[in-house]
Amino acid sequence: MSPESTVYRGKSGQWAFVLHRITGFLVFFFLLLHVVDVSLINIDAELYNEVHELYGNVMLRLFEVGLLGALVYHALNGVRIVMIDFFPGSIRNEKAMFTVVSFLTIVLTAVGGFIIMKPFLEGTAGIL
Amino acid sequence: MTATQKQLPSANRPKLERRPRMNFETWSWYFMRISGLILVFLALLHFSLTHIIYDVVETDAEFVASRWENPLWRIYDWVLLALGLFHGLNGLRWIIDDYVRRPGARATVKAVLYSITAVLFAYGTLTIITF
Repeated sequence: MSPESTVYRGKSGQWAFVLHRITGFLVFFFLLLHVVDVSLINIDAELYNEVHELYGNVMLRLFEVGLLGALVYHALNGVRIVMIDFFPGSIRNEKAMFTVVSFLTIVLTAVGGFIIMKPFLEGTAGIL
Repeated sequence: MTATQKQLPSANRPKLERRPRMNFETWSWYFMRISGLILVFLALLHFSLTHIIYDVVETDAEFVASRWENPLWRIYDWVLLALGLFHGLNGLRWIIDDYVRRPGARATVKAVLYSITAVLFAYGTLTIITF
């Protein structure tokens, strides 16, 4: 047996799984950060506003587009997983469903990303 | 009975009628699916509201104050916080079980994760209630 034969080489299902883990991990850590930034509002509203303004700069807007992509993928692929689990026949369409999930993720992230980046494209958002 | 049917070891055939044993892992499996389906709507609507419908710079302290005047938005945000944190916590628990193999390291990583999540759940709840 060659060493390569022990490496699992999955197809679309494995990529769906890997992406689901990575996007879930990223969204969870953003949520931890988000709990802290919102909590500043109870300490001092001015401090909240100062920190919150950072979300409007270009670097963090790009980060928000990434967050949207991760969120949309994780949500849509989650629905795909639930469908496979609760409607066993749908496993036959697993690959087609992954294609739909990928396509919708790209389209929705592109449209939402354009709206998020619009203030920068119009020159009303700061670089930092 | 045909020859091919006879070759199938009946003990290995899945018994489809058998109900799963409802232990903690079964509950956590159901929890992930139910909370996940709810979060699809809660999280995507929340993101749309604060980044697409309103621009992110518009969601300042005044915006939060006007929204949290309505207790229903507080409940919405709290459910999103609770389901998001525990859905994420359970997902990370599965990831840790897969990749952190040494028992000592696994226990340590889990202890850190559970502590951070518990503290931030309490802190986030307090933020929503005491505002």
